[in-house]
Amino acid sequence: MSSTAPAPRVTSPKTSGEPLVAVEGLTKYFPITKGIVLQKEVARVHAVEDVTFSVFPGETLGLVGESGCGKSTTARLLLKLLPATRGRIFFEGEDITGHSRRQMRPLRREMQMIFQDPYASLNPRQTVGQIIGAPFRIHKTEGEVKKRVQELMDRVGLNPEHYNRYAHEFSGGQRQRIGVARALALRPKLIVCDEPVSALDVSIQAQILNLLEDLQDEFKLTYIFISHDLGVVRHIADRIAVMYLGRVVEIARADELYEDPKHPYTSALLSAVPKGHGKGSVANRIVLEGDVPSPIDPPSGCPFHPRCPKARQVGGPEDGLPQNCVHEMPPLGDVAPNHVAACWYPLKKDESLQRAAHA
Amino acid sequence: MSMETLLEVKDLHVHFPTPDGVVKAVDGLSFSVRRRETFGIVGESGSGKSVTNLTALGLIDRKAARVSGEVLFKGRDLLSLSKEELRRVRGKELAMIFQDPFACLHPFYRVGDQIVEAILCHDNVSKRQAEQRAIDLLGAVGIPRPQDRFRDYPHQYSGGMRQRAMIAMALSHNPDLLIADEPTTALDVTVQAQILELIDRIKNEFNVGVILITHDLGVVADVAQSVMVMYAGRAVELGTRDEVFENPQHPYTWGLLESIPHIDQKGSRLIPIEGSPPSLIHVPPGCSFHPRCPHRFEPCDKEVPALVDRGSGHLDACHLSVEDKERIWNEREARRTKAVS
Repeated sequence: MSSTAPAPRVTSPKTSGEPLVAVEGLTKYFPITKGIVLQKEVARVHAVEDVTFSVFPGETLGLVGESGCGKSTTARLLLKLLPATRGRIFFEGEDITGHSRRQMRPLRREMQMIFQDPYASLNPRQTVGQIIGAPFRIHKTEGEVKKRVQELMDRVGLNPEHYNRYAHEFSGGQRQRIGVARALALRPKLIVCDEPVSALDVSIQAQILNLLEDLQDEFKLTYIFISHDLGVVRHIADRIAVMYLGRVVEIARADELYEDPKHPYTSALLSAVPKGHGKGSVANRIVLEGDVPSPIDPPSGCPFHPRCPKARQVGGPEDGLPQNCVHEMPPLGDVAPNHVAACWYPLKKDESLQRAAHA
Repeated sequence: MSMETLLEVKDLHVHFPTPDGVVKAVDGLSFSVRRRETFGIVGESGSGKSVTNLTALGLIDRKAARVSGEVLFKGRDLLSLSKEELRRVRGKELAMIFQDPFACLHPFYRVGDQIVEAILCHDNVSKRQAEQRAIDLLGAVGIPRPQDRFRDYPHQYSGGMRQRAMIAMALSHNPDLLIADEPTTALDVTVQAQILELIDRIKNEFNVGVILITHDLGVVADVAQSVMVMYAGRAVELGTRDEVFENPQHPYTWGLLESIPHIDQKGSRLIPIEGSPPSLIHVPPGCSFHPRCPHRFEPCDKEVPALVDRGSGHLDACHLSVEDKERIWNEREARRTKAVS
């Protein structure tokens, strides 16, 4: 249905030149099967569909969207923790799509991950020293492991004397620091942070976000930062990709995305966030009707068209929705310099969307 | 607009003795909630916000906990009611919505039947009448085609719809007070916006008072009229929404407001609160926030500051004088604006 979209050329504000990681037309379907011995595929979950983006060295790309939009799956595909159905993955210009496990192993040093749940992602039967030291042992690095682990612990704000303690002896924020130290151990180039602060209390969130920023400057790290919290993403990301139902619908520099969103979904998503100003902004929100459709049977054309307030405005009350929204997937195209969106009718600056009428 | 006081909590203590020591989950809490008001309770995990409300509902095992104080609901002390008396109030005049709409509906029963069961619990009506009322309620909370969806099982509902069904169930007896414990935490932002709007609407349509418990200051700022900030089992600040957000008085509230990244403001460096929340077994002496407070001075680690009214119903529990606080808040604000530019 969808041809390969032209690669969006959104250059990074920090650096231009060669991307560190790039994905092209990345697609993942999970089969739904019936039968025990002879499994027949009866349907498929369209988890990620034709995703194309690049991440440049030293920048933070935010990946936002609601649950089930494919942001975590995209990250897993990119790290080759899951095989892709279609599409290509490049790391430092090298096509790693077809790499075997053995071929991947040296590259794994360069790409690490920080997980959401600091309770589930640390082995309860290992000491902190063992957990943070594991990457050194796996990759058989030289030198004394203990010393290096303690340096790391000190760097992320843990007391190095707690080397022999177990994960349950630490608070949630400290555990997340352990996860950060483990990811940092082999001095990777890329760290994928999958909702790293979502499980933490607000006063602790800020500590971890500051730590991630400091480490980025110190070790020249590149982050892919996945979050559903749009405030956190604005704070930390240089550029942001918004996903909806497995597709990237908009990529832009962080400021531009928040101040001048082009895709109606981005605009609705931003307006749904409680602003916390004590102004009671309930009234001027664009409240979307209904829920995200099932990725097993995604809508035809633009995946957002059944809920899109803009499509309804364009179509008018009699004509129904515009034909191209219903039948054709809009390509991810330039809407402004360094700003791409997949919409047939992108928003103009300061265009306000009407609240969708009650269905 | 009637503004009668619905719920009045006076000097509530809830202590749990454990082998390691006494957990002081709630330690001397007083507040009141009026009809048609949304009363927001904010605090981090373990600050006692949920225990407060579970105690009010009689859902705390009184054998395991030492409870003292008063919880006056429409003039009656809920803590002194017998189990049977409490059962007649709970679910009828006092209803609750929980955080996780996936865990609150029984997966084997149809959604409609579960609401009917709730109705038949307290009202002597026929099953047909109860069914009709359940359908009307599902319609009132914004479930499309309620006649059809009435027969669905919970797994056929999305997260947002389940939370709507829970709200319908809570409203089935026209309660006076609705307690919503993190009602949108498990939901996506666009769905959260829908549910908050619904809660705001039913407050007037059903003439109820709402207690909204949340860790999200943004949610409270959007829908609450009054706000109570809790820390380690005590209220540290209490006032109208505008007062608490525009003119915050307690260093903990300052810290919370400053440590949250804002969506409409580009990232200056965040100012986190140092350290982490205390264990409720070893609550620091004096002001429980003092070990993390950058403005602590002499009396802070000795005397527990009282919750004092600074005028216009804005209360806070801090030893700093009003002048000092104004000066410090202005300094902090200047530092923040400097960081942004």
